[in-house]
Amino acid sequence: MWGVNVLEKTIYLRMRQRVQVRPDEVVILKDMAQIIAPENIVASLEDMVIHRVSKQDQSIVIIDVMKVIGIITNLYKGAEIQTIGPAQTIIEVIYKKKGVSVPFFLLIWFLLFFGSALAIMNFHDDVSMRSVQEKIFTIITGRHESKPFLFQIPYSIGLGLGMILFFNHVFRKRINEEPSPLEVEMFNYQQDLDNYVIINENKESFKRLHDH
Amino acid sequence: MIIKILFTAFIGFAGGLAVGAGFVAFLTVLGIIPRLTQLTKTMKMIHWYEWAVISGAIAGIAASLRDPIFGMHPFVLIPLGLAGGVYVGMLSAALTEVLNVLPILAKRIGMDGEIVMLLMAIVFGKIFGSIFQWVYFIHH
Repeated sequence: MWGVNVLEKTIYLRMRQRVQVRPDEVVILKDMAQIIAPENIVASLEDMVIHRVSKQDQSIVIIDVMKVIGIITNLYKGAEIQTIGPAQTIIEVIYKKKGVSVPFFLLIWFLLFFGSALAIMNFHDDVSMRSVQEKIFTIITGRHESKPFLFQIPYSIGLGLGMILFFNHVFRKRINEEPSPLEVEMFNYQQDLDNYVIINENKESFKRLHDH
Repeated sequence: MIIKILFTAFIGFAGGLAVGAGFVAFLTVLGIIPRLTQLTKTMKMIHWYEWAVISGAIAGIAASLRDPIFGMHPFVLIPLGLAGGVYVGMLSAALTEVLNVLPILAKRIGMDGEIVMLLMAIVFGKIFGSIFQWVYFIHH
């Protein structure tokens, strides 16, 4: 029966990747980790204060699992803790719900709009698309035409259609539920940022010379 | 004479090899064919898609070097233009994605939610630029 006794003492912790809190909030263990523990201590574990968000914290705080283990073993001497998953949690302090300003958004929108219009025109000029299109018109119909609109207008519409198809925004529900490349790219970028702050905002991850 | 012919043929072959390899490498890096198979769930047909690219390239070579004339109705040009446009659109979308422009831009200006709107700005910009160029710009 000793095996059962050993198992009962173990506390399993799985840190969450990212937690959003308000300024001046108290972060308790339940917010930042999933816990499996013996029934008699699980409630007090869940409400254990890990961090108080203060003004100096700015917008990102990294809580290392070592700090959590330290706090728990302070209270429960000899507790056996098993950690699973991420070794730290990113606490993101949300100061105020920032709305997107409309003029700013319109500025960016028209920047992208005219930027891509100019870029595609330069591309067409660069690859001499006009002469290629006139040649295609001649090959297909046998006539010469300096304004082959019948080719050019479908081409222009297809251009936009191809971009939408690639990013799969219109047909997402109909064709399949896989994430679009853009969503994967957003995720990867966020992951890279998280990795950066995990290492650079965590004082424990560096040991420098002359570090007082 | 025979040496000259062989040498010219060799240079032409080498040039073709370099351009063809470059074309396929470019397509592979941008990942358009995997993207299309993923959208249509036709992974098993991927070899046919390879041959479609190769025979399309060869047809393009024949058309540009030999100037054939088919004498078909001009309406045949509509699907051709549409297909060409979709292809170039996918190329430019893939290029934008490789360069990671949109995620960084959206994040910088705090518009993670409105990324579709930003995408639409680029899409409409491309359509507008293209139509403007063909209908007005090149004739003035």
